[in-house]
Amino acid sequence: MADSTDDFEPLFDYSRVQPLNFVSLDDDDDDDDTASPALSSKRRRIAKPIVIEDLEENTNVIQIMDSGKNEELDWLSPPPKVSRNAQRTVVEDSTLKELRLKKKELESVAQSAEDVVRAVEESVKLQLGSSMQSSLEAVADQPSKPTCERVKIVISIQDKDGTKQFRIYTDDKFERLFKMYADKVKLDIQNLVFSFDGDKINPASTPDGLGMEENDIIEVRVKSS
Amino acid sequence: MSGGIARGRLAEERKAWRKNHPHGFVAKPETLTDGTVNLMVWHCTIPGKAGTDWEGGYFPLTLHFSEDYPSKPPKCKFPPNFFHPNVYPSGTVCLSILNEDSGWRPAITVKQILVGIQDLLDQPNPADPAQTEGYHLFIQDAAEYKKRVRLQAKQYPPIV
Repeated sequence: MADSTDDFEPLFDYSRVQPLNFVSLDDDDDDDDTASPALSSKRRRIAKPIVIEDLEENTNVIQIMDSGKNEELDWLSPPPKVSRNAQRTVVEDSTLKELRLKKKELESVAQSAEDVVRAVEESVKLQLGSSMQSSLEAVADQPSKPTCERVKIVISIQDKDGTKQFRIYTDDKFERLFKMYADKVKLDIQNLVFSFDGDKINPASTPDGLGMEENDIIEVRVKSS
Repeated sequence: MSGGIARGRLAEERKAWRKNHPHGFVAKPETLTDGTVNLMVWHCTIPGKAGTDWEGGYFPLTLHFSEDYPSKPPKCKFPPNFFHPNVYPSGTVCLSILNEDSGWRPAITVKQILVGIQDLLDQPNPADPAQTEGYHLFIQDAAEYKKRVRLQAKQYPPIV
């Protein structure tokens, strides 16, 4: 396309004569002060292919703007054949492309809807596991991020070899944390004893209930059978 | 206002302990029946060191802080008649770092005290006996001493 216009340009001299007006009209705000004949003609030559390319790309997105541009271009653009051909193909293309785009849009909408549904489903499953009460609220929040209002703290679980850190909700029962830990160290949860400040932790209690703070330590001991 | 200093320091000690302490140890200020916390008395647990005859025992220790703490050390007490050459019949631990006139420095932390006592369990100091039975067996009958230590470890199983 760029080549063809370049080929035609010398034949139709309008581009060299007219652009002065045209350019200054069109690109008034851009660079009218630098609109010397040499510059503008150069600009035009470079600009034209770009404009046509733009047409093809933009037609999909903003039809109205392009058509406006087209008309202006049409009036002045000297090589009628090329521009008309280009325009026609552009128009045909644009309708097709528009359709294609719409289809894509619809597809993506469907896709995102599916994603949302899946996310909600997952959240429901998760929440059912933890607690009935919070499930409603969590489902509502799920699409963004689960439950920003619930407070999380870092708790260390310390065994004889060191500590592992966990971020847990302060109102979440310990049984979930214990299960997480047991899975991590690959030990049977039945053989683990968790204690805080020397007292055994009831799996049904919560960090809040024990007055736990950020970075508190839970001690874990493997039962000697 | 030395009491204020003692409590301030103990609050700090407690805070530090919650964030970091050696495995198996417990150290917490006592909670009175009305729910208030008495920072001047701490109930602690010292685990017997692994690989020693003391292993498996979780020995209760009480720290009594005075208003002069940390200028003066806390009094550290096992249950009465605790079997160890350097523990008085009352249960009070005899250890240089816990002696105001000897090894005590105000900078010594609760953690250092408890770890120091854990070390003492398996490494009695025969130069400074505090009870006859433990001392004599330690000096004269190693086998019997060992037996008694293991027996005592069994008497203090983990509370949890």
